[in-house]
Amino acid sequence: MSDSKTMITLISNDNVHIQVERTVAERSMLIKNMLEDLGDCAMSSAIPIPNVNEPVLKKVIEWCEHHKNDPQTTADDDSDSRKKTTDIEEWDQKFMQVDQELLFEIILASNYLDIKPLLDVGCKTVANMIKGKSPEEIRKTFNITNDFTPEEEEQIRRENEWAEDR
Amino acid sequence: MASTTKTVTAMPMVPNREDLDATWRYLEMGVSKIMANLQDGIDMNTYMGVYTAVHNFCTSQKAVSNAHQGVIGGAHRGAHLLGEDLYQNLITYLNNYLKELVAESRKHSDEALLAFYIREWDRYTTAAKYINHLFRYLNRHWVKREMDEGKKNIYDVYTLHLVQWRLTLFTEVHEKVMDAVLKMVEKQRNGETIEHGQIKAIVDSFVSLGLDEADPTKSTLDVYRFNFERPFLEATKQFYQAESKQFVAENSIVEYMKKAATRLDEEEERVKMYLHPDIIVPLKKTCNTALIADHSAILRDEFQVLLDNDRYEDMERMYKLLQRIPDGLDPLRAKFEAHVRKAGLNAVTKVAVDADKLEPKVYIDALLEIHTQYQGLVKTAFQDEPEFTRSLDNACREFVNRNQVCKSGSNKSPELLAKYADAVLRKGTNGAEESDLENILNQIMTVFKYIEDKDVFQKFYSRMLARRLIHTSSSSDDAETSMISKLKEQCGYEYTNKLQRMFQDMQISKDLNSGFKEFEAGLLEPGDEKQVDASYSILGTGFWPLNPPNTDFTPPAEISRAYERFQTFYGQKHSGRKLTWLWQFCKGEVKANYCKNQKTPYTFQVSTYQMAILLLFNESDKNSYDDIVKATQLQPDILDPAMGILLKAKVLNISPEGDKPGPGKMFNLNYDFKSKKIRLNLNIAVKSEQKQEVEDTHKTIEEDRKLLMQSAIVRIMKARKKMKHTQLVSETINQIRSRFVPKIPDIKKCIDILLEKEYLERLDDDELGYLA
Repeated sequence: MSDSKTMITLISNDNVHIQVERTVAERSMLIKNMLEDLGDCAMSSAIPIPNVNEPVLKKVIEWCEHHKNDPQTTADDDSDSRKKTTDIEEWDQKFMQVDQELLFEIILASNYLDIKPLLDVGCKTVANMIKGKSPEEIRKTFNITNDFTPEEEEQIRRENEWAEDR
Repeated sequence: MASTTKTVTAMPMVPNREDLDATWRYLEMGVSKIMANLQDGIDMNTYMGVYTAVHNFCTSQKAVSNAHQGVIGGAHRGAHLLGEDLYQNLITYLNNYLKELVAESRKHSDEALLAFYIREWDRYTTAAKYINHLFRYLNRHWVKREMDEGKKNIYDVYTLHLVQWRLTLFTEVHEKVMDAVLKMVEKQRNGETIEHGQIKAIVDSFVSLGLDEADPTKSTLDVYRFNFERPFLEATKQFYQAESKQFVAENSIVEYMKKAATRLDEEEERVKMYLHPDIIVPLKKTCNTALIADHSAILRDEFQVLLDNDRYEDMERMYKLLQRIPDGLDPLRAKFEAHVRKAGLNAVTKVAVDADKLEPKVYIDALLEIHTQYQGLVKTAFQDEPEFTRSLDNACREFVNRNQVCKSGSNKSPELLAKYADAVLRKGTNGAEESDLENILNQIMTVFKYIEDKDVFQKFYSRMLARRLIHTSSSSDDAETSMISKLKEQCGYEYTNKLQRMFQDMQISKDLNSGFKEFEAGLLEPGDEKQVDASYSILGTGFWPLNPPNTDFTPPAEISRAYERFQTFYGQKHSGRKLTWLWQFCKGEVKANYCKNQKTPYTFQVSTYQMAILLLFNESDKNSYDDIVKATQLQPDILDPAMGILLKAKVLNISPEGDKPGPGKMFNLNYDFKSKKIRLNLNIAVKSEQKQEVEDTHKTIEEDRKLLMQSAIVRIMKARKKMKHTQLVSETINQIRSRFVPKIPDIKKCIDILLEKEYLERLDDDELGYLA
């Protein structure tokens, strides 16, 4: 394979060309697999990313840049520690301090681009936003209209009584 | 879709995410492109387009789904993951694709079919890898969820490709493919060159198709084993059965062995070249059965012929073949053992024409020659294999202990071996170099190892060692000690204890003699003439195999003063010890000053008895037989032979002339004695004496054996207190076996003696008890 410093070009769906180091881009399994499958010839042409726009793509690249030296998570690293804790390292916490819309776009993009650690961080951030809140507060946080009738709401509460803090 | 008009040219056209048919049409185009002509490369737009289309379909909210129950079921398990439709469509697509391939394959056969299979397999698996990546989103979500929920027959997209290949194509063509493979292998076995890379590719393909049903992430060799290994082994078996049958009919066994060895090597090489290592063991087994086990009977029959003709290389070949099959060598070992035994017995018979006059060296050399020869065979042809070594040992033990020579008495072998050792270790009998001597001693030990009656050897050896020490006739002290340490190594401390003590006694005697010299010098008055220059050996009674003389004897006055002085000296040093003089082993030298015509006097080396007789002639030239008896007190059976030698040497004359010594005869000194040598040894052991000694030795062996058995029995009983009769007998045999092989009636006799002496008592139920 070629030098790790090789630069490649990504094109966001709003047609912005972004230069990025190959190793950084390969945090995305999609890009990594594609480069391997298509071979070196693919590297010279720009790679279209049809589902992601420029601001989100830039944000994702920023994350990949910072984490480019992390060990690659292996195929099924479903270790309990990663699943159970909602701890997020400091840099990532700061990184995720963005408006809600951008946050969700980052999550969608990382899912599409197949960047598992970023997807995890995004989901944990959302989970932390929900943690310790009442349904009313959650509705407020995510701007959700309550479309339950009071009867329905009562029934759901009864069904889920076991999960309440007491 | 938020894309501006500008991007349309750069971005791949992606179908409506909610339209399954449109999406699948788009995907099928991409997949077909990959399947059909991957070598042309796939452009990035298609790649990204297909991936994105899969992603978009799977993440769409309201996809038009054919699988309605999936949606209904989905309500219950939270977020519904879309993808089943894509998965099912992919299966249908692969099915159709593979069916076409099957149809195509019918146009080919044999090597062309192999080429076709390999080409299509390579194309298909490479494509599968790409498609797997393109459908990665499906793998990550829908497939993963299905598998997590324990659904059977759902695989990741790559594995799905393999499964479909197996179900649709493999089942249709694998037999024909295998036929082609086997035809190729047969060609190679018949000496043609083949392109074995093809077979290797087939093996790899078959191996890849093995999926563990229980855990799809793991692979098994089941498919390969059943569809490749099994027919391959069957074909191998048939090939070699036919070939070997024909070859054996047309060629000699030796030629066949060469052929079989080559074939076996070839098959091993074949595995390395293009087969899966898994086949090594069963393939070996198949070949061994067809090539060796099926012909083992005729191979073994040939072994005797090879043995008889000393065909070492061919025997090695046979060994290497037969060791590959279970129990293949046992019959060889039995034949080998019988053969060596026969060879040993024949060798002995050849030298034992006259057993009584048999030279120990000739006998031992005959034994050694057979041993050396067959030990060489075991080493070169049978790789020093322990079991063959054991057979050799068994055979040697047999012919060493039970042969023509031993017929007269089973103790003959140890006796002759001891005599041979004596001849080797005695001074002057051979000019053996020190290093040679060590070699010969090792050879003696080789034979000794096989001797069953080790006690007999011990008896004879110690007697002869005693003689060597007394007469200082050992050729080398180093060799003596080396021999003793070898015996000790074999049989333990107890076996050589007495031998070592004999050695020590000689050393102590040396010191004692120099002490005595000083003592004696102190006694002499100035002017006294020293009469006798003597040295003395003090031998511990318990350690030396010597008996006191069986005749009375009055030593001549000339030496009695000297030995009385020594007795005084020894009494002072060790009070309370009794000295018994073993006159029969004493010797001395006398000078004959009386002879006419001789300036330098003759020196006679004589026994003390002869000395006593000769010294009588200092007083008078004539002595009657009765005078001599009176003066010396010797018994006739000692006196007569001693006189006989003096007469024969013409030191004395008898009258009447030519008669034998006896009462009434007269003897006179021969003044005309003549001899070429100045020193004459007249101290010659008489034949009858030697025979007597051998018989004595044998008698003491019997006595000692009884004691040995009794002490063993007492030792065992002391430890066990109670024991069954039969058990005691076998335990006794075990304990004594290193010395000799006891006979059961003898042991029973010993038990009876011990019962009588009340060391043991009879209990109920055939048990014996120990009485303290």
